[in-house]
Amino acid sequence: MNFLKRFIRNRGAVIGLVILLAVMIFAVIGPTLFPQSPWRMVGRPFTAPFTMDRFPLGTDMLGRDIAAGLVHGARVSLLIGVISTIVALLIGVPLGAVAGYAGGFFDDVLMRFTEFFQTIPSFALAIVLVAVLQPSLASIVIAIGVVSWPPVARLVRGEVLSLRSREYVQAAVTIGQSTPRIIFSQVLPNTIAPIIVMGSLMVASAILLESSLSFLGLGDPNLMSWGYMVGAGRTRLLDAWWISFFPGIAIFLTVLALNLTGEGLNDALNPRLARGRK
Amino acid sequence: MHFVRFAGSRLVKGVIVLFAIAVLNFFLIRAAPGDPAMVLAGQAGEADAVLLAQLRERFGLDQPLLYQLWIYLKGYATLDLGFSYRQEQPVLTLILDRLPATLILTGAAFIISLVLGVLLGALAARRAGRWSDSLITTIALIFYATPLFWVALMSQIVFALKLGWLPNVGYETIGAGYTGLSRVGDVAQHLALPAITLGLFFTALYARMMRASMLEVAGADFVKTARAKGLPPSIITRRHIARNAILPVVTLAGLQAGQLVGGAVLTETVFAWPGIGRLMFDALIQRDYSVLLGVFFVSSAMVVAFNLITDIVYRVADPRIEVAA
Amino acid sequence: MQLWKKAAAAVIITGAATGTSNVWAQAPKTGDTVHVVVQPEPPSLMQGLNQNATTNMVAGNIYESLLRYDEKLNPQPSLAKSWEISSDAKTYTFKLQEGVTWHDGKPFSADDVVFSLDKFLREVHPRWRPIANNQIDKIEKVDDLTIRITLKQPFGPLMLALEPASAPIVPRHIYEGTDYRANPMNNTPIGTGPFKLKEWRKGSYIHLTKNENYWLKDKPILSEIYWHVIPDAAARAVAYETGKVDVLPGGSVDVYDVPRLSKLPNTCVTTKGWEMMAPIAWIAINHRNGILGNKQFRQGLMHAIDKEFGRDVIYGGLGKEPTGPIASKTKFYSEDVKKYDYDPAKATELIKASGYKGEPIKILGLPYGETWNRWAEAVKQNLADAGVNAELVNTDVAGWTQQTGNFDFDLSFNFVYQLGDPAIGVARSYVSSNIVKGNPFGNVGGYSNPEVDKLFAEAAVAPTEEKRQELYTKVQQILTDELPVLWLLELDFPTIYRCNVKNLVTTAIGLNDGFRDAWKE
Repeated sequence: MNFLKRFIRNRGAVIGLVILLAVMIFAVIGPTLFPQSPWRMVGRPFTAPFTMDRFPLGTDMLGRDIAAGLVHGARVSLLIGVISTIVALLIGVPLGAVAGYAGGFFDDVLMRFTEFFQTIPSFALAIVLVAVLQPSLASIVIAIGVVSWPPVARLVRGEVLSLRSREYVQAAVTIGQSTPRIIFSQVLPNTIAPIIVMGSLMVASAILLESSLSFLGLGDPNLMSWGYMVGAGRTRLLDAWWISFFPGIAIFLTVLALNLTGEGLNDALNPRLARGRK
Repeated sequence: MHFVRFAGSRLVKGVIVLFAIAVLNFFLIRAAPGDPAMVLAGQAGEADAVLLAQLRERFGLDQPLLYQLWIYLKGYATLDLGFSYRQEQPVLTLILDRLPATLILTGAAFIISLVLGVLLGALAARRAGRWSDSLITTIALIFYATPLFWVALMSQIVFALKLGWLPNVGYETIGAGYTGLSRVGDVAQHLALPAITLGLFFTALYARMMRASMLEVAGADFVKTARAKGLPPSIITRRHIARNAILPVVTLAGLQAGQLVGGAVLTETVFAWPGIGRLMFDALIQRDYSVLLGVFFVSSAMVVAFNLITDIVYRVADPRIEVAA
Repeated sequence: MQLWKKAAAAVIITGAATGTSNVWAQAPKTGDTVHVVVQPEPPSLMQGLNQNATTNMVAGNIYESLLRYDEKLNPQPSLAKSWEISSDAKTYTFKLQEGVTWHDGKPFSADDVVFSLDKFLREVHPRWRPIANNQIDKIEKVDDLTIRITLKQPFGPLMLALEPASAPIVPRHIYEGTDYRANPMNNTPIGTGPFKLKEWRKGSYIHLTKNENYWLKDKPILSEIYWHVIPDAAARAVAYETGKVDVLPGGSVDVYDVPRLSKLPNTCVTTKGWEMMAPIAWIAINHRNGILGNKQFRQGLMHAIDKEFGRDVIYGGLGKEPTGPIASKTKFYSEDVKKYDYDPAKATELIKASGYKGEPIKILGLPYGETWNRWAEAVKQNLADAGVNAELVNTDVAGWTQQTGNFDFDLSFNFVYQLGDPAIGVARSYVSSNIVKGNPFGNVGGYSNPEVDKLFAEAAVAPTEEKRQELYTKVQQILTDELPVLWLLELDFPTIYRCNVKNLVTTAIGLNDGFRDAWKE
């Protein structure tokens, strides 16, 4: 397969994919590795990392196991990243598809609607949404989804616009297929590649956004996410660096991996643009 | 004239968007639990029904909601952003007090990131595939993937606390009474850490974009033509590739300039920078409705203005460009 | 009219003009500047209209009240030079200081005091209003420098209700006949205090300068105070470490940072200056919500919570485990009450026996920074260990006030000031007459016991201290058995400052009026 070959040739993309798979494995088997709740105060507070076998990464200010928190956090952070991206795609893809396919008046109205959301500073809007709905998993996911769909809509609209005039779409129109059927069976499948690339990058920025919200005190207090761990440990950076260092690294690695993978996918799907890497 | 009509229609559309945003924000914020009177009572550690009623009357919250909306929109129509009863000042005064700090911060971050980003991106593209390209790409990725507040905290600890080179918080040395050049120097010192922190993320973004854009343009037909003409590679890179590649980067940067205000919330919080990002966050927590709406209005207006200017500049520079609706 | 009887019950204190009795080893140096952290930024500095903690901290140096209090809560002269209490304990006569002027140069007189106490504060101040309406018969001017307060019945706590945050004296010439809250002068507060407002750069700093015409000669000693607004807790600590600020008031850095900061050179730490406030942290319980109305269940919760862990690990060992509703530092405290040790097994047993079936219990945390978040997390885990299906609710100040004040919670963290006397600061949280929506510091849980109501009412106006003690002891015994709330900790708030700042904390309200006497070595 040409695509796979191109992807594998990109060293960064492979590294990214490996990291990403590792994180996913942790997220899946985490609860088996650490069956206890990560909120449990199991040890002496401020145990430094690499000093006790029981707590390889040390404990935090309440004596909670940081390794357990990291593994459970992988699940929460990925979940938030993926679900909010899905929310954004669910809003952005249909909107962009309709705008691009219908054109004219519809296009104008929908794009104005998109522009409207792009005009409000997005991080500020996310903060306000979470504050209004009160911090919880649902409100965080909704807020991130609401602020990140406009680029999806624009991307899909652009793709659809260019696909609309292709011969096979015109052919479908001529043989009298219904518009929704054309959009779903002829047009959208051909936009999937760029959407996947964009989606992988959006998961990354959603994880970053969640950690920023957590930092401002707008996290769900019942979920141990990496953003929560960094935020909670930041006041102890000077005397207990490990509390926020490890989750910080986890965020960094995951976001990095997602970006590398996304770029690898992009290059593999659009070989013309990837020339510089060879 | 065609151009005037175009600019006029864009302006009208911008104003409509702004009013729609104003209305949306009004209802959005009212949906948040609590009100400014409750915040004051909660922070005072003491309250009774009489006090809450007095405060609500003073804040105008005893009026019907739609009437409040009417007053608010009427004010906006005459560019009167209202009054903050919590802070006993007109909203416009509060925003104008804070706006310079944010403009300095975001302006500096913007320039740093654009210049550095374009240079690094161009360099990486020219050396595509070589180690310097990998280095730049990797560093850009690292800053792209690191949470902004994390960089802020780290830089504070390293450069302010451990090395003692730069002040950790604030806009200027309070009580020093500097004037003239020494004041500029003082503000610049305070500006260094927050501006670089805020700028790093965008540097990474622009560097990546510039690199990709350069590589794309390098494959375009007119570049092939230039090569075929036998022009030296350095001139091709500078005149043909870089010039054209920079356009999308600048467009994006123009759009982001307005968004910087939102991104400044975190930086302003960590560095106690007295800008409007922080004003917005405080107003949100305090349910200081009029201030919050005012900040949203001003920053949205900035985005609209940036978009408008970008469009117009494009149109003037290249009449062939069909500005998308 | 002859009130100047020197009866046995009467107390006369003639003010020593200096206020403090420190003997200085060296003459204090004048003209210095002190930098202090203030967070959150106060909404206003008009202390009569706003009682936010930080408003009081800054404005307490601009405005004054009739009295100051030493660490033992004994009244000291401030705007009142001396006072006399009649033998029937119903008439209080205050002689005022001579030669006092407002910051705008206008003379201060008894008219200002009568206006403040009788009109202004009665209308706007939620703490003064009940005292003025329920306890006071009349407030009148005797002569230009004398005022008299006549009570409806004896009310001992009156002498503790006259501190700057509870009863600041405001200028009559500015406020009389105006809409107080809309008065444009609220932005430029005019007081009689040792410092004047020079400049307030919103979001940045508040600058106070010396009042050159202060009525107390040689005071204040400092020339300038800058209050720095720094929103991030970690950045506040770094600002102290890098020398940007000299004083970190109690609560301005996370308690975690206190041990590290107190080890820095030239750094002093004191927990004094909070005797008047003496806050107790507790978890309010909504007695209306099913199982929470069950005493056995509440006792189970009390055994489930590791209060020692709360103090030592979360609150940095600063404070004391409370035994009941009255703080151990306050008068009328009694130790002879039912106590609850940390005993998860017993807790599990009690909770099971109470008929609890695993319905979710929501815990509303206090939105005041990381310490309180950690506390809520630890309590949630404690309760989970005892078999309670607990979940946390995150919110901001507005959300907390609304949910707590409107009884829309199961368990809610809070800390409440004792304010020197149980009649002022304690009763309000337990008596059924204070079950009113809107006030998160009232009896939000809806706990109601007629005997408790009666005891508090009698104790407030009982003629002697012994009688009051007897009634308060009884009330403490009932409350510790029934657990209207879950007491967690008598909070200490450490003030961290450079040791060369002298005489900073000399009264029961600490920094709130501390800069009058402070100086820098």
